[in-house]
Amino acid sequence: MILSIIMSLLWWAVIIFIIVKLFSGGRKRHYSWLLRELPLWEEKNIINKEQGEAVLGLYKLKRVALKKKMDMVKILTLIGVIFVGLGVIFFVGSNWQRIPAHARTIMLLAVTIVTLYAGYVFSYEKEGFANLGKSLLLLAALLWGGSIALIGQIYNIPTSDNWYIMLLWAFPIVPIAILFKNDYVHILASILLIIWNFLYSSSNDIANYYYPIFIFILMLPTAKNLISGRRINIMGLVLASFYCCFNKYEWLALLISVGLLVCYLIQKEERGYLYAAVFSFIFWNITYFTVRQLSCNLYFLLPFGFMFYLTYKDNIEKNLIFCLVGLMIGINLAIFSVYQLFNYPFNESQFTIFQLLSGLVIYSVGIVSRNRGYLFPIIFKIFGYLVTFICVYLLAFKAILDVWTGGANNVYLFGSLILVGLITLFLADERRSDNFKHKSRRIELAALVAALLGGVILLVSPHTIFLNIIVMNSVLVIFALSSIFLGVELKRPPIFTLGILTFVLFIITRYIDVTWALKEKSLFFIVGGLVILFLGTFLEKQRRKIIERMKPE
Amino acid sequence: MSKKFIFIMVSFLWIAVAVGLITSKQQIMRLGKTVLLETVPVDPRDFLRGDYVVLSYKISTIDLTQIQSEESYFRRGRRVYVKLQPRGQFWNVVAIKTKMPASDKGIYLKGKVEFCYDKKLGLNYGIESYFVPEGEGKVMEKVMQGDKSQVKVEVLVDTAGNAMIKKVIVQ
Repeated sequence: MILSIIMSLLWWAVIIFIIVKLFSGGRKRHYSWLLRELPLWEEKNIINKEQGEAVLGLYKLKRVALKKKMDMVKILTLIGVIFVGLGVIFFVGSNWQRIPAHARTIMLLAVTIVTLYAGYVFSYEKEGFANLGKSLLLLAALLWGGSIALIGQIYNIPTSDNWYIMLLWAFPIVPIAILFKNDYVHILASILLIIWNFLYSSSNDIANYYYPIFIFILMLPTAKNLISGRRINIMGLVLASFYCCFNKYEWLALLISVGLLVCYLIQKEERGYLYAAVFSFIFWNITYFTVRQLSCNLYFLLPFGFMFYLTYKDNIEKNLIFCLVGLMIGINLAIFSVYQLFNYPFNESQFTIFQLLSGLVIYSVGIVSRNRGYLFPIIFKIFGYLVTFICVYLLAFKAILDVWTGGANNVYLFGSLILVGLITLFLADERRSDNFKHKSRRIELAALVAALLGGVILLVSPHTIFLNIIVMNSVLVIFALSSIFLGVELKRPPIFTLGILTFVLFIITRYIDVTWALKEKSLFFIVGGLVILFLGTFLEKQRRKIIERMKPE
Repeated sequence: MSKKFIFIMVSFLWIAVAVGLITSKQQIMRLGKTVLLETVPVDPRDFLRGDYVVLSYKISTIDLTQIQSEESYFRRGRRVYVKLQPRGQFWNVVAIKTKMPASDKGIYLKGKVEFCYDKKLGLNYGIESYFVPEGEGKVMEKVMQGDKSQVKVEVLVDTAGNAMIKKVIVQ
């Protein structure tokens, strides 16, 4: 039950991340376009170098070297090598019975070593064949896998589910990856090591500490300049950490998390380390919870506090989203642990109200950040709005409120009251600072207060379902209207469009909600279709008109 | 370190690993004692190799109420040693140990716990797949679908409990 809720929270997180990216990623897209176009303008003498530098300086951008397009020869040799490698493995796989087993092994081993030699010669002895040499080294690594498979076949050692056969393939090719600095082989070895890790853990039913240690000590430091190799290993570590959630390997998850964080501190230009560390700490927290459900994990605050600090210090807005997701999951797991101590039942309604209020707190942090000039106000506001909106939307369904009637859970109640207190303090501070004076801020705060009051009403009166549905639907309408007014006031089309979308979603949902129970489904679709057609056309026309008016003359 | 030296080192490493793997298996072939086991086969395919049959032995599932065991529960993945003794033409499990007894001269087979519930212990001995020439796996499967008791496997077991299939006998 609890794990399924955590998983659904993770899904929410993914959805929220995508939406946040959609709304906040526009500027980055423009920047990358500018970085691409600027050299072209300079080349055609539309602007000179100094002007180009001035434009870049305005947006605090640095020139980047244009990525070299992948060489066609490189691609062809690579595809060729993979085909030959796979062909040999399948040739070994199919029967080659007429030749004695040992002769087959010696032949394949000889072909493998000759290929390795050819790879070495073309890479380092002959000039102008570096790509071919690199591909041949990959072929040698693939053939080595074929040799191991063949020996396995002769002695009836199963390969596809055998961790040590995978290890015998992966480890001996690591020197090629590292000492010949071959990124293809590095990627192959990294993938094989990921497979080995899972096979080892599942077949022995124990945590595989060797995997992260090997990756941290050898694979990652040697992949400092191999971006793909490094990222595959980072992904492997996150997957290993995720696997811990289902197998109660809390120390392994912690080791991976701390390791990733240390890697980030050593090599800050690879932000993937920090993202992976956040996810890994989330998985560690979940694992801690599954291992000892009655014990509240307050230790998670320490790494998360530090990662929040790094997010601000290094100005990484994407990481703030991950940190917020992690923080919400952490707080919820802590609440689960506490209420289990008191034997309170799980109450879905109170759980959702708690998330709603958390969303409002996050939104309030966004407003405070904006007022005081701190970083990331937009991220806080979008994240907080989405969390609140999803909760309000769910709580506006009669069918959901009818079912969510679990026994009272005082821990959620107490937690929610603390959040209400925090939001009230924030509102008081806003009033003290005279922030209500601006019309746009009044609109924003009206929606916030409406959601707060809605949450409080549901919290104190959970059994008046009819009243609660009206309250939550009113909050949804207020959200829609406030976004529309705010969009017009600030002349920001995305906010205005968001309001229209919220309104349309509200109408459609309520229409389905009310009329789905009707026996005549054809009428439901015909009327519904007509309503959507007319309402859609009308709203879209109005929306375009208003957005047109917003444009500066 | 010169690149040539790296090439030579890697070549030697590969040869050493291959020879080591072959030698360890040859050792079992040379020193192992032969036991005859009763089987129940099935036939999936392995993409890395040609046809092969998956063998399940009578000794793969042990009734803990019938067999003398040091412990009553074993976690998945744990290593155990089963003592084998001949009963009729086939060899059967007579005891389960968690460590290889140094003084006992009997035949012990090393196994890994697959499952343990309802006093039933499922073990994997690493001799569960047997390769057959391309296309013959299906033929063998058909033969096996009749009287399963007619499929016997000769297994070599060394002093450390490692096992290797010597021959599959289909009558």
